[in-house]
Amino acid sequence: MIGVYREFEGFMRLAGYVLRRLPVLARPPVSESLTRQIYFTGASATAGIVLRGAFIGTFIIAYVIDVLEANAALAVKILIWVVLREVGPLIAAVLVIQRSGTAITTELALMQISGEVESLRQMRIDPRDYLVVPRVVGVALSTAALTFYVQVIAVGGGMLLSSLTIDASLGELTGEFFALASPVDFVYAVIKSLLFGAAIALVCCYYGLHPPGTSINAVPKAAINGVTQSTLLVLLLNVVFAYLVFGQAFFGLVTAKL
Amino acid sequence: MSSVEPAVEGDAGAPGAADAQGVALGYEPLAGRGERRVWIPLGGSRSVGAMSESQRDRLVGAVLDVRPEPGTRLVLLGVDVDGLRPAGRAALRDRIAFLPADGGLLSNLNAWENIVLPVGFHHPGRLPGVAAQVKGMLESLGTDPRDLLAKLPERMTPYEKKLTGYVRIALDNPDLVLDEEVEAGLDSAERAAAARLPAAYLERCPGGTFVQLQVARER
Repeated sequence: MIGVYREFEGFMRLAGYVLRRLPVLARPPVSESLTRQIYFTGASATAGIVLRGAFIGTFIIAYVIDVLEANAALAVKILIWVVLREVGPLIAAVLVIQRSGTAITTELALMQISGEVESLRQMRIDPRDYLVVPRVVGVALSTAALTFYVQVIAVGGGMLLSSLTIDASLGELTGEFFALASPVDFVYAVIKSLLFGAAIALVCCYYGLHPPGTSINAVPKAAINGVTQSTLLVLLLNVVFAYLVFGQAFFGLVTAKL
Repeated sequence: MSSVEPAVEGDAGAPGAADAQGVALGYEPLAGRGERRVWIPLGGSRSVGAMSESQRDRLVGAVLDVRPEPGTRLVLLGVDVDGLRPAGRAALRDRIAFLPADGGLLSNLNAWENIVLPVGFHHPGRLPGVAAQVKGMLESLGTDPRDLLAKLPERMTPYEKKLTGYVRIALDNPDLVLDEEVEAGLDSAERAAAARLPAAYLERCPGGTFVQLQVARER
């Protein structure tokens, strides 16, 4: 229990440090590191993540429509509720954890063990400025961008598939979508995905900079800690967010009394 | 080219509680620990021989933190650091550089990125003039910049790593350089090349002090 508290305190301290030190992004080596992080998490991962995300999103829509024998309005509502608000940000977050979360934790743990983090201190550079701040900001922005891609492709693919399987044209579905979707859905998804990305990077950086040992065996342990804890944190944030914004959690099983 | 002179070590000739004026690096360890006293005057290139690894680590740690361990005395660049305020420590730290045996490079950055990392972080305004300085330093030390600057550390020889680390610290014009075993891991040709680093530093920073820390290997 004390260990869990200490880790939570560590995440919070690191988050506070990142917020205070955002201006350090203006320094050339840190901005280059930010660009690299956005490239690796947001750009080079796009094709794979979008394809997988679109496949999962389209599969969910097709399955739900088939089981519920839904009409056009219900199909679009499901698209908005499930894909736009929940599945899009969650798919992007899970894929970012798989790809970038493991890479960040492993890289930082190796740097810590091999003395490269100490080298930064010897250069009078706080390792959190150079290693954590650009990663947190880069992963947050990239997760938001990937969420947008997943939403567009999953919603587009879902509507296209729905038009083929239910008695509604693509134009009709699109009209229903723009009538039912509100700006809140998009703002909600963007803010949530930014938070997801920042949380993933914070947790993975924390475990990378605090590997459980000084031998090479500590690297996979740190990676496992980073992946499992960031996944848990993302799921927790998702529940809290759903409850705060829509007054409901666990698909309506827990409802806020406002 | 200046030769490397031994530092005043042990009890013989050490000034004890003498004035810190004119001292580049003074370290008086705890009595009874069996460690060497180090007392190095300002200016020139000096060698501190046969320290134990633990003493070397303690000395380097104290110097880079600008904070002596309890019961020890540390003098840096003429200042007894024990009574310094945080701002004074920070100002003093800015004048000191440490050159690790392996150059202290980051493995995911090439030589150029490693060299400009601290300058870009601490003094971004100085970046435009850095390329010419780096080129000049490397050429004066007999290395073709085109061969070295694009290399990642995994492709470098031990001397190239050391040289890259040296150029990185020299750009900052430190008043005191602590060099960890300049010849460690080098072959004879590289040793000869590395022996020129202290003189190159003194040519660039005439009033500076270059201290080589030699570690006695345990058998």
